[in-house]
Amino acid sequence: MKKRIFAALMAALMVVGVVGCGKKDNAKDGKTSLTMWCIATESDSNRKSYEKSIQDFKDNHPDIDFSWEAIENQAYKTKIKAAVSANEMPDIFFTWSCAFLGDFVSAGRVYCVDDVYKQYADELPEVMMGNVKYDGKYYGVPMTMNIVGMFCNMEILKEVGYTAVPATYDELIECCDKLVAAGKIPFGCSGKETWCVTEYLESIIEKTAGATALNKIFAGTESWNNADVSKAVGIFQEMIEKGYFDPSGIALTNDEVKANFMDGKYAFYMNGTWNCADFDKAGLSDKIVVAEFPVIDASKSQLGELIGGPSDTLAVAQDSKNAKLAAESAFELAKGICHYGYLDGCGLPAWTPDYDTSSVNPLTQSVAEICANASQYVLFGDTAMTAESATIYLEYVSKIYSSEISGADFVSGLVEKIK
Amino acid sequence: MAKNTSHSGLSPRKVTKETLIYLFLGIWALINLFPLYWMFTFSLKSNKEIHGDNIIGLPKNWLWSNYETAIKNGHIFETFKNSAVIAIITIVIVMFVSLMATFALTRFVWKGRKTMNKFFMLGLTIPVHVAIVPLYISFSKLNMLDTIWALIIPYAAFSLAMAIMVCTGFMQSIPIELDEAACIDGCGTWRIFFTIICPLMKPAVATVSIYTFLQCWNELMFATIFMNKIKTLPVGVQALHGKYLVEWGPIGAAMVLATFPMLIFYIILSRKIQDSFIAGAIKG
Amino acid sequence: MKKLYSNKLTICLFLLPAILLFVGVLVAPIVMSLYYSFFDWDGISSTKTFVGFNNYKEMFTDDTINMGLALKNTCILALLSVVIQLPLSLFLALLLAKGRKGERGFLSVYFMPVLISTVVIGQLWMKIYNPDYGILNVALRSLGLEKWTRIWLGDKKTALWAAFVPTLWQYVGYHMLLLYAGVKSVPPEYREAAMIDGAREGQINRYIIIPYIKPILKISVIFAVTGSFKSFDLIYVLTNGGPAGATQVPSTRMIELLFTRNRYGMGSAIATVLIVMCFVAALLIGFFFREKED
Repeated sequence: MKKRIFAALMAALMVVGVVGCGKKDNAKDGKTSLTMWCIATESDSNRKSYEKSIQDFKDNHPDIDFSWEAIENQAYKTKIKAAVSANEMPDIFFTWSCAFLGDFVSAGRVYCVDDVYKQYADELPEVMMGNVKYDGKYYGVPMTMNIVGMFCNMEILKEVGYTAVPATYDELIECCDKLVAAGKIPFGCSGKETWCVTEYLESIIEKTAGATALNKIFAGTESWNNADVSKAVGIFQEMIEKGYFDPSGIALTNDEVKANFMDGKYAFYMNGTWNCADFDKAGLSDKIVVAEFPVIDASKSQLGELIGGPSDTLAVAQDSKNAKLAAESAFELAKGICHYGYLDGCGLPAWTPDYDTSSVNPLTQSVAEICANASQYVLFGDTAMTAESATIYLEYVSKIYSSEISGADFVSGLVEKIK
Repeated sequence: MAKNTSHSGLSPRKVTKETLIYLFLGIWALINLFPLYWMFTFSLKSNKEIHGDNIIGLPKNWLWSNYETAIKNGHIFETFKNSAVIAIITIVIVMFVSLMATFALTRFVWKGRKTMNKFFMLGLTIPVHVAIVPLYISFSKLNMLDTIWALIIPYAAFSLAMAIMVCTGFMQSIPIELDEAACIDGCGTWRIFFTIICPLMKPAVATVSIYTFLQCWNELMFATIFMNKIKTLPVGVQALHGKYLVEWGPIGAAMVLATFPMLIFYIILSRKIQDSFIAGAIKG
Repeated sequence: MKKLYSNKLTICLFLLPAILLFVGVLVAPIVMSLYYSFFDWDGISSTKTFVGFNNYKEMFTDDTINMGLALKNTCILALLSVVIQLPLSLFLALLLAKGRKGERGFLSVYFMPVLISTVVIGQLWMKIYNPDYGILNVALRSLGLEKWTRIWLGDKKTALWAAFVPTLWQYVGYHMLLLYAGVKSVPPEYREAAMIDGAREGQINRYIIIPYIKPILKISVIFAVTGSFKSFDLIYVLTNGGPAGATQVPSTRMIELLFTRNRYGMGSAIATVLIVMCFVAALLIGFFFREKED
């Protein structure tokens, strides 16, 4: 027995030796090593654009020993925070712009990329850098951007006599009434993933209160105490009451709702434009049209004011041994990822395209048209606000969707809770 | 009064009762087998079938390609190997450390023995998530992140309380006379421990192994946060989730690949495992 | 012999590895959690503000944390696991341990859900509860019980129970195996003697077997209660605390505060509360069973 146990122990230790070795291979052959973390796992639709861009980068820089890891989206958020706490960040890391990156910036853990940005200023317009600007300095490189789109199933609309997407709010309401009367469900929205509810709610608030006002509210420079916001919430809840939304949605995940929409269960589905590629791949391009939510209060809002903006960002660690080089690499990689990602239909480019874009899928192209006429963007509320405020905001949004509180409660609650 | 053994004198009332019992046992068995069937069919379906078209039936098209995707994108074989190595080493460590501690706690006579026992019970009370940041910081200082030890150490520590609890009941049932006899033969403490106690604790090994294994096989939090290059099975499965689009079929396939070898192993060994549980269940 | 077994140095050597692991991995985080729980800290920056017991007060007064509800929910779960899950496990264990045809087969099958990953179990139950095509609603409809159908995980009234059922179900096999082993270890003479005295099945179980396996029942109850207090995985997958916070339990809140809301201090305070709860519960259960044994 003793011998056997001993043998087992030794065997175990040997295995450990084999597995344990071969890590920590810094700076071999005098090469500079750079590491990157991102969320483009093998199953992510962005994976290919990362792979291609990284391959290009490696070909152009044989002197850099570049290694990268992809971690699943949800787990990554925890992982990168733990790494920031322990100051164990990789040289380059994926991050969301605005508040998520902002926390790291204010902790002094992110390298300022002002100098490097100057070299790329013609290709990467300054408007795209707004979400990575803190105290007048730039701390990240945006890659792609997405907006909220209203996806419409034209086959279902045809059944109630529409050949085009209702262009005004009144028409949309009329259309929904007809759909309900015909036993169709106008909208599908996941209540289990509250960000899906915000895709609807923020669009409605923006088309009621206007982009300028909403931007100020998200930024915290103006109070939530705004009559238009509570009015917009009322409109949203009225739509729910009138049966415009699938009541099952409250317990479904976004995957399930999306599957329902693709299956022809809903006439409309409002969600991020990253869905374009999937709809196209499923062969729905000729059935589905993407449009902007119509204006509700024309005195305050107009078409071309969009929810969304560049959020996917690469940033560089302040304590990176080769921070300058890492920053230059981040720009190069981001540009490549943006380029290949756009061609694959994974979102719209933050960088101005200098290549042929005719192969992009028709849905993404029509989103590009909408964006070309954009006058102003409002970044998704949960990205724009700090983590604590965003969570409180999402909790209140979920209470709206379950019709537990009214617009007035929503406003007063947020005024009180969000500091 | 007639002897009331279960096999003689089957009155009609008894037959109905037995039938009902078996019916109940059978239904409960089906309820517990259903997840396996469901997981297997799930692994061969497309998203469309999984989300609504055909949730419990057999797949319409048997998408074996899901397995290909899972193996390729989730690196299932490699992660399986890593998980297995980590689990085995963790089990060996937990076994030794808990046996040694239990030996000191049950055989030796000393003040504070009870308090020490309670102290170990603390291990049952800690939610693993609070340990993440403190451990991350310590491991990074010790340069141990991304080595298998960054997982083995916490896994072992979190299994220890349960292991000690199980071993205590066990070791108390070993008659002290054995130790005395060995002592008279001139054995020292260490020899008594290794040659008398350890071999008799064999049944406890199975119980503790199963518990420890369950603790670390499906663990995701530590595995994603502490490791970069060395990935474990749950991390591999997790990597199959896209950011915006989740193909559930390959995830199901990866789960089958992660679960079934273990299930088969369990079924083959189940008799042994159950026997050791029984042997282990003596007064604690 | 006595001398051999009271050598202080040997005791220390035998305990050393366990103590090292415990102190390093478990005690240190507890102490750190306790320390951080008195601060307002985001977990990232290098500055933190001392706030005394404020976090502990705020977790009950702030309705975006609503610790009161989370505690209530988790206590319901613990209670259910003691009054439903354990009796069911015990019942199955008693049925099987009597020596039935195929008992080993049943035993193996009942233990299987424990071996399956929570993600799979979660996905399965989501499909069972799906309001449109879920097995539960479809079954109700086909039985003509249309009005009983619900949006199980989306309705505030049912979500909590719907989320608890799978949690309870998954571990029935685990407790059953523990208890089965206990029942099997009852010396057969006890049972035979009772039978000769004319005791019925129920009486044997009640007066002979259950008292005999009390130590194992104690362990089972401790596992069930502390496990309920810490339960996280399935609730996270099934409802993630929703709808509108109705199914929040302390651990889901804790994760949210630690890693989503960047409120490390508050998250640590909840962790401290959880640790104290589990420890007190374990001690109380131990005490309760000891009283009964005398």
